[in-house]
Amino acid sequence: MAAARAIARRSFADGRARNLSFALFFAVMALIQAVGYEHSYPTVKERLQFAASFGDNKAIRLFYGVPHDLVHIGGYVAWRSGGTLAIFVAVWGVFAAVRARRAEEDSGRQELILAAPLSRRTAFRAALLGVLGGAALLWLATWLGLLAGKLAAGPSAYLALAIVSVGLVFVGVGALVSELAPTRRLALGLGMIVFAVALALRIVADTSGALEWLRWASPLGWAEEMRPFTGARPAVLLLPAAATAGLLYAAARISLRRDVGTGVFSSGDRAAPRLRLLGGPTRLALRSERGTLAGWFAGIGLYAIVIGLLADTFSTANISQTLREQLHKLGGATIVTPTGALGFYFLIFTFAISLFACAQVSAARHEEAESRLETLFALPVSRRGWLGGRLALAAATALVLAMAAALLAWASAESQGSHVDLAAMLEAGLNCMPSALLFLGVSALALALVPRATALVAYGLVSVLFCWYLFGALLGVPQWTLDLSPFQHVALVPAQPFKLAEALVMLGLAALAIVASLWAFERRDVLGA
Amino acid sequence: MDAAIRTQGLGKRYGETVALNSLDLEIAPGEVYGYLGPNGAGKTTTIRLLLGLHRPSAGSAQLFGIDAAGDPVAAHRRVAYVAGEPFLWPALTSAETFEYLARLRGGADVAYREELVRRFKLDVDKKVRALSKGNRQKVQLIAALASRAELLILDEPTAGLDPLMEVAFRESVGEAKERGQTVFLSSHILSEVEALCDRVGILSGGRLVDEGTLEQLRHLSAHVVDVTFDGPAPRLPELAGVRVRRAGENALRCEVSGAIRPLLAALAEQPVVALSSREPSLEEIFLHHYDSGGEGEKALPLNLPRVGDGGGGR
Repeated sequence: MAAARAIARRSFADGRARNLSFALFFAVMALIQAVGYEHSYPTVKERLQFAASFGDNKAIRLFYGVPHDLVHIGGYVAWRSGGTLAIFVAVWGVFAAVRARRAEEDSGRQELILAAPLSRRTAFRAALLGVLGGAALLWLATWLGLLAGKLAAGPSAYLALAIVSVGLVFVGVGALVSELAPTRRLALGLGMIVFAVALALRIVADTSGALEWLRWASPLGWAEEMRPFTGARPAVLLLPAAATAGLLYAAARISLRRDVGTGVFSSGDRAAPRLRLLGGPTRLALRSERGTLAGWFAGIGLYAIVIGLLADTFSTANISQTLREQLHKLGGATIVTPTGALGFYFLIFTFAISLFACAQVSAARHEEAESRLETLFALPVSRRGWLGGRLALAAATALVLAMAAALLAWASAESQGSHVDLAAMLEAGLNCMPSALLFLGVSALALALVPRATALVAYGLVSVLFCWYLFGALLGVPQWTLDLSPFQHVALVPAQPFKLAEALVMLGLAALAIVASLWAFERRDVLGA
Repeated sequence: MDAAIRTQGLGKRYGETVALNSLDLEIAPGEVYGYLGPNGAGKTTTIRLLLGLHRPSAGSAQLFGIDAAGDPVAAHRRVAYVAGEPFLWPALTSAETFEYLARLRGGADVAYREELVRRFKLDVDKKVRALSKGNRQKVQLIAALASRAELLILDEPTAGLDPLMEVAFRESVGEAKERGQTVFLSSHILSEVEALCDRVGILSGGRLVDEGTLEQLRHLSAHVVDVTFDGPAPRLPELAGVRVRRAGENALRCEVSGAIRPLLAALAEQPVVALSSREPSLEEIFLHHYDSGGEGEKALPLNLPRVGDGGGGR
């Protein structure tokens, strides 16, 4: 059917940039783990040592899940890339489905499409078919990456399928929340909440022996239970298949019944005026971003509490010298004390808060892409004031987020009786800031110089540089290439002393970038989407 | 006294495309200026340059003597703008939008705003997200008019308004004019421009092709002579300064620029039953420019489709 084909093709093309960057990232991640393993643990002896030291390591399980076989390359890659990529593909699924369904409708385009001679059922199926095309691309990229890493074709295809199966479930989640929420923003928020719950369930299952069964409650856990390369259990694939089908069926049913442009959760169209936070663009930004900010606080707060609870899982008694060395290769430091473990965990916050800074600049660019800045800058509002205000707001909220993470992690560690110095934890919070501000500045510079590529530059740089920091060392590349990543210069506070000189350099660069962005932003055309 | 709007050699190119070419405008305080042109002629580009939203590639623009690109904030204290497409904050209600815009500007005439809300029949507690395009347009218009700014820059302000609201709009612009406010009205709606404007500029292909009061434009343009014959209309000889078109089986419409005598001489031998001469309407002036001037622009029908010009510039 021509109309359905046209919609599916459009939907696939709309996700092109996202699909291609994810596909590239997946292929590289799959390859890097295989090559890295061969490089870091070339002999059987080293592999046995590695496996022995990692068998029950909860700190590592938090991020990557449970390893089943670390002596063979397949098991290692399935564990390292499988765990990480499952998280990424879940986020991809939510974004892709919400883009194809709710964002289309939010923009008003869906009315135009449904005015054409085609049924809603066809429109729904075709839009999601385009998204599934993207999933197929991710599967292919992962598989090719694994093949390039010289892994066996059949099991590699199965591993790639296990990873992408998580994405499919979250495409279903994205499709369903698109029916529930009346706006794209709310749909994304709901989808990310589902994702956070799924991730939290997997983490609890993987790190606490007693609640291991919880793994079956999370799509991320199902992917682990498929055990690619370590005694495959393809029957488990039925779970994501059934869940995806169920979610899509529910979404399709709702989409046939409701009015176009509305969601199941209708938003109130009328309201008595609330005049708070209307005094200027920065205050309005705080007002309109409050939902997003609450989401960040909830997510970061939750993980701060989890890592505080887990901080004591290491004890110096049963830690081996080998483990210390292995952890060092993973980017960890001395994580044999609660303080050390927290330093290792806080690395994730350094990344998350840098990502937050990028998200704030992307939100500012979104204002411009929606042409609202034309309205704003026709008023006596200076561009420098607007951008400066947004950046100051982003920096201030990032600081509050970092300090909240530090305090919550400290309090939850304290509740477990692991004694961590409060001052050291606050320092760990502050330690997240130099890199976050650097990425804030670089994103702002992108907004000023290449506005239409702001999100790509911002998110792309922070993700690539973080992954380079985490995995580049496994490849044995020259040190100076690793030093290109700002994360390389962030100390694992509180496990390591704060690196003052490096922090000052980052802050200086951030200040330069911000000043340059303010200067350049005043001197360019205001550009719509 | 500084001109409300003055541009000198103002030009803008986007890559290879020349959107505006060496524009010279001078609009006095208190004047109501109609800015006409087809889609993509450069009207919105002109406005973006006047507001400093885009940087000029050549020349300069001043509002009340203040450079539009150099000190936009100072210039905008004296300007209110209504965009062709209403880009507002979807989560705010109209009342909240008014409050926000007023605070950004540093005040508004609240009593007049309430009167305008009644006149335009706007439900101020509805969120902008839930408003139709016409209603969102009203929000912009009311906020701009209630600002009492010295200069109103209106980019196709009545796009999306129903005829009753157009009447309300004309009334409000009339009030602004009485109060001595300057109005820069970019429009497709010729009757609106004819009713409101002191002076008119016609833009085509990025160039100002004609400018003047309506009387001047009429005077400079061709007179229209409608001739009806007793029987089929004859072929007239080629005459300098006369364009002849058939207007039905028995009638001709002649556009005469310059002397009318050769046409009368040619008609003298024909069986003429009726002859009328009149000044051209603005529509005819407008179409005349498209026919001849604007880089291959075809004559456009009246009541042009009004959507999409906002995006045409960029």
